Amino acid sequence: MTIAVTYDLGAFLSENWEELLRGLGRTLKVSAIAIVGSVVIGVVLGAARAHRIPVVRQLAAVYVEVIRNTPILVQIFFLYFGLGQFEATRMEVFTVAWLSVMLWGGAFNTENFRAGFEAVPRNLREAGLALGFSRLATFLNVTLPIGGRIALPSSINTYIAVLKNTALLYVISYPELTTTAFQIQALTLETLEAWTVLGVVYLTLVWTLSALIRGLESHLALPGEA
Amino acid sequence: MFDRPEWADPVAHYLIEHGLTGTLRIAVIALLASSAIGITLGTLMTIRFAPSRALIRLYVEVWRGLPIIVTLFIVYFGFPAIYRPLEFDPFTAGTITLTLWGSAQIAEATRGAVQSIPRGQHEAAAALGFGWVGRHVSVILPQATRRLLPPLVSLLIGIILNTTLIGIIGGAELLEAATRMVEVVNATPPAGFGDRGEFRIYAGVMLIFFLICFPLTRLSAWLERRLVRT
Repeated sequence: MTIAVTYDLGAFLSENWEELLRGLGRTLKVSAIAIVGSVVIGVVLGAARAHRIPVVRQLAAVYVEVIRNTPILVQIFFLYFGLGQFEATRMEVFTVAWLSVMLWGGAFNTENFRAGFEAVPRNLREAGLALGFSRLATFLNVTLPIGGRIALPSSINTYIAVLKNTALLYVISYPELTTTAFQIQALTLETLEAWTVLGVVYLTLVWTLSALIRGLESHLALPGEA
Repeated sequence: MFDRPEWADPVAHYLIEHGLTGTLRIAVIALLASSAIGITLGTLMTIRFAPSRALIRLYVEVWRGLPIIVTLFIVYFGFPAIYRPLEFDPFTAGTITLTLWGSAQIAEATRGAVQSIPRGQHEAAAALGFGWVGRHVSVILPQATRRLLPPLVSLLIGIILNTTLIGIIGGAELLEAATRMVEVVNATPPAGFGDRGEFRIYAGVMLIFFLICFPLTRLSAWLERRLVRT
């Protein structure tokens, strides 16, 4: 049983690059929407948890624990098929695509920002209040810039995970990079070429972002603490 | 619509019997294999020998960096395309995938834990006549275990959550069992129940995962706090 394995990455790319690039574009688009959304969720709910704002804080805790302790794949199935059961909550594939990864990233970011805000020294906040800033102004001018900086490395880790999680959108056939590569190899049988492209693209993105964290960590270290 | 439907019992039974057992079986094997490989690689990474370090570093960064679903496709579809005998059933391919990912996580954690043990411990063990292997197995790793416990519990949670990926290639686990049950519930009688089961069944699966993982998350947080205190 000898199987002629032909491996021609160049031919594979020259034939499919447009489609792959469109897939990569969708991966980046969904990631970008989800990351922006997860920053908003993370800052608001992280602040609610750190500053013990009643009701919001408890709801945020439930949201965080549900997302962290259930598989994101089941979350995607629930949003797409489970809520899709009812006319009123049925969503398009694209909506579920960004919403599912955004809700996931938002939960992890809530914890990242909560930890960041809680690490801001008490006396800085008190100084802000003593200067006559309102609680909101103190948060925006003191806690957010300092706590956000403390939370940055761990939140970038979350963004990397968000980017990787978009590959799971394969299960609802959203044509991002993984789905696209899968469909191409299913037609052309160029299995190895397809996985090579996927591997190289994802590793390049993930490694670049990781290197960015390491750079930022030293650059953004709070003066006097490093 | 929130009355208890007639299909509730058979569906719950199937989810536990076929789904949850599959999930836990994969999780236990992947956890044990990940720990064995990860602790070995992590310990070897502390040896100052550039080529072995670089190789292990590459292994860690590749399997941690790829989305797990891509690794799964590489193992399940790619490996047999390279070399025919590497054709695995979904269960094995899934377990290998989770082990590659898990061992990379543990290798990194082990490296940190081993390096956190003071030099004096190495020197004392060497002075007592232990060789490199004996020194690590009998002296260093037992002390590093305390530090390794929280990441090991986190890994177990991560593995349990990620077993759901194996359903994508047709392996038996909880999410795959749930999808089958949705088909049965939604099929017209007599084959099925002629109902709509998506919402309730997937919500049920989320609940099962939550009941397993939430206590583990608490345990991991508690271990972490205990470590910081001492």
